[in-house]
Amino acid sequence: MSFFRKLRKSTNNNKPRTDSDAIFSLSSAYITLETKLGLKSTGRSALSLKSAEGMHFTEMKEGIQRFLDISKPDIELKNRMVVDSYGYLWLVLEGKSMADILAGISAIGDTVEERGFSRQLLVAIFEFKIEKHSNEVTQYLIYNYKFNKFYPFVPFGQKTRSTEDEMKIMAAIVDEVPFEKDMTLWYPLWDLPI
Amino acid sequence: MSIPKTPSWQRRDAGLTARIILSFSILALLYIGFLSALAYVGLDFVSITVIAAIMILAQWYFSDKIVLWSSGAKKVTREQFPELHDIIERVVARNNLPKPKIAVINTNMPNAFATGKGPRSSVVVVTTGLMDLLDTEELEGVLSHELTHIRNRDVLILTLASLFSTVAWYLMQFGFYGGMGYGYGYRDRNNNGAGAMIIVLVVAMLTWVISFLIIRAISRYREFAADRGSAQMTGKPVKLANALMKISGNMRQIPTKDLRQVEGLNAFFIVPAISGSTIGNLFSTHPPIEKRIQKLMEMEASMG
Repeated sequence: MSFFRKLRKSTNNNKPRTDSDAIFSLSSAYITLETKLGLKSTGRSALSLKSAEGMHFTEMKEGIQRFLDISKPDIELKNRMVVDSYGYLWLVLEGKSMADILAGISAIGDTVEERGFSRQLLVAIFEFKIEKHSNEVTQYLIYNYKFNKFYPFVPFGQKTRSTEDEMKIMAAIVDEVPFEKDMTLWYPLWDLPI
Repeated sequence: MSIPKTPSWQRRDAGLTARIILSFSILALLYIGFLSALAYVGLDFVSITVIAAIMILAQWYFSDKIVLWSSGAKKVTREQFPELHDIIERVVARNNLPKPKIAVINTNMPNAFATGKGPRSSVVVVTTGLMDLLDTEELEGVLSHELTHIRNRDVLILTLASLFSTVAWYLMQFGFYGGMGYGYGYRDRNNNGAGAMIIVLVVAMLTWVISFLIIRAISRYREFAADRGSAQMTGKPVKLANALMKISGNMRQIPTKDLRQVEGLNAFFIVPAISGSTIGNLFSTHPPIEKRIQKLMEMEASMG
């Protein structure tokens, strides 16, 4: 366990108060996912928020883009913006290290909140892969900004999901990150644009 | 490096033994109190008790046949259900258990149970609905749960536990109905007839109610014990958890509707209804599925 995790545990009683705290709890949990379940981060992640009209929203988008450009030397992230059929804006990040990804996602989340659009925030998602019978299976960890909790999402075939794999993810990291234990709130996100 | 700890669920189940001893002590005390009350009244209860005890023992002795007959289960051979036989043979061979007889009920309702006098003469019953619903590993989890019931002699334990409550039940019946006609003439010879009869009734009722609650508590605890046994046998608690989700229909509670759609409908902030009152829990023989799944997933997590 890292020094910082211990520190956070003692000051926050293991209950992160902000979204950034919650997201940074993944910095150790993703190792647990790899050692316990063999899940590897693909380096792809995304933050999604409801798109809005108007100058302020456009300014915020420009602000995020500027931040990503400026921080290029420090955090190595490829990025793009996509709007899906539901009208949600997706900021897709791709990086080599989990630390960079988490820094990017939480910084974008903070920017959105600072500009007064926190109510628009939907989720942050993190993509993982696992080798299963020489096939690669994609699994997701979703962070819900409304409930400030993580939950698993493993799509499986046509609009069905593998509850078993999802429960395994919960069992592995339920004590490490703020986790949604109520399965009726594990809403899927089909056809992710990442 | 730390020394790997044995998770608590893999250790011997001391709690189970303690609880059974405690429960039986309470039941025995109740029984003794009940008998003393009867003796005090001077009722000829011997015949009733003997008959009740014989009926219960007969019920236990013929339990497998009664259950098979009343549920419409048919014993099946290896030729008829090779996969079912294979799974059970695998589990019993790995865990050094005698192979039970296997029976199948032809119904869509997914269910399984075990019955029989002892490990050697037991029957594991599954429905065709269960076999259709579950995959091999999930089925193995459920069958291991039933095999644990057999190994722990749960049928015998619950039969013995219900002995007291059944005897009390018969006496209550006797007090209500028999006590009015035939009972009066009998009791007129002792001077304290009616008052004593009321005492017997009250004690019988109390015995019945308390033993009823204890039986349900034992039964719930043994369900957890069987889940744990299954997890030990298969090493895959998540498979049993998944099977329980499927059987209980909880699978449908995991949403398939897209989050972005739900957000739009604003159905997001509905407070979930308060679930499971404590009184309800007192009366049920099975613990809530959510509790069982939660415990199974704790086992899964501790396996690393």
